[in-house]
Amino acid sequence: MANHSTEASYEQQPVWAGGRSPFNVSYGKLMMWLLLLSDAFTFSSLLVQYGAQRFSNVQSPVTTLWPEPAAIFNHFPFLHGLHLPLLFVSVMTFILIFSSVTMVLAVEAGHRKSKKEVVKYMVYTVLGGAAFLGCQAWEWSVFIHEGARLDGNTFGITAEGAAKFKTLHFGDHFEWESAWRTNGPVPFAALFFIVTGFHGFHVFTGVVANIVITIMAARGVFERRGHYEMIEKTGLYWHFVDLVWVFVFTFFYLI
Amino acid sequence: MDFYSKPGEYDAINYVPHTESHGTKELWRVFLILLGITILDFGIYFAMGPSGLRNVIFIFFGLVKAYFIVGAFMHMKNEKIALALIILVPVIFIIGLVMGLLYEGNALTMVK
Repeated sequence: MANHSTEASYEQQPVWAGGRSPFNVSYGKLMMWLLLLSDAFTFSSLLVQYGAQRFSNVQSPVTTLWPEPAAIFNHFPFLHGLHLPLLFVSVMTFILIFSSVTMVLAVEAGHRKSKKEVVKYMVYTVLGGAAFLGCQAWEWSVFIHEGARLDGNTFGITAEGAAKFKTLHFGDHFEWESAWRTNGPVPFAALFFIVTGFHGFHVFTGVVANIVITIMAARGVFERRGHYEMIEKTGLYWHFVDLVWVFVFTFFYLI
Repeated sequence: MDFYSKPGEYDAINYVPHTESHGTKELWRVFLILLGITILDFGIYFAMGPSGLRNVIFIFFGLVKAYFIVGAFMHMKNEKIALALIILVPVIFIIGLVMGLLYEGNALTMVK
């Protein structure tokens, strides 16, 4: 092989002849991309299964069988008893998108080898991820409190309930009455817990990884190494978590 | 690593390409786009009644958000085309899965 001690001779090497990185990325980053690709398959399988279950349960002679997301995820902390569909989950989406931005700012600071800024933005990212997990824990606990179980579904809406929900406006007082609810399709809550739980687990591992690299960056490990590539790799994972949430949000709450 | 590479020679395991900052302007722009689309989602949810068209709009917005997250935040736009292709082309399988279940999913309504 030719001697490629300088950048110029490296660039002149043929791409696929060996002796250089054909994708011009590090090994770790390429492997992270492949992990994310396989993870994308896992999440899309789960979401497609959700879609299949949902749209096969869409209508009955009486009313819509599949529970109405707006009727269930309509709570907001400290605003008890008000009908506020989509508001809390939009706040969660904002938190996650914003933590993605601070992550990418940390990556950018890493390109400039600014250790102080990397640590600062990584701390924001960790806080954002933790805030998201807290929101999800709150959401789950309210959902379970309202009667969500893995082996059944009491969120089916009766004709009376459906009529009531048509007249309900954003911000109105709301409390379930037993006449509005009936048994619905069984997999509703199980699918919610599995998909948001699997996503939440990804957020959790992402937060753990972010904490680890924040500490490493603060202790100057990357400074000694000469590059902040680890921030980029963890960043890819973190953006992927954000990306998955975009679709979980779309399919579970919007549609 | 010392077993595989001599000084000055390409080291496949430890190779890290040189990167440069492209500034933060683009990132904030993408953030505002993502925020705007999410607010638009929120608005359309209340402005339109449940319908197939609304679902199509939401899925389209989801794909637009995915484009910006992958393209700008994950730097896919700045990667080599070969890397972009090996990640993006297999997404065909996901499209196939969706198509398959849209078609086969009819059977689920039949058995109920």
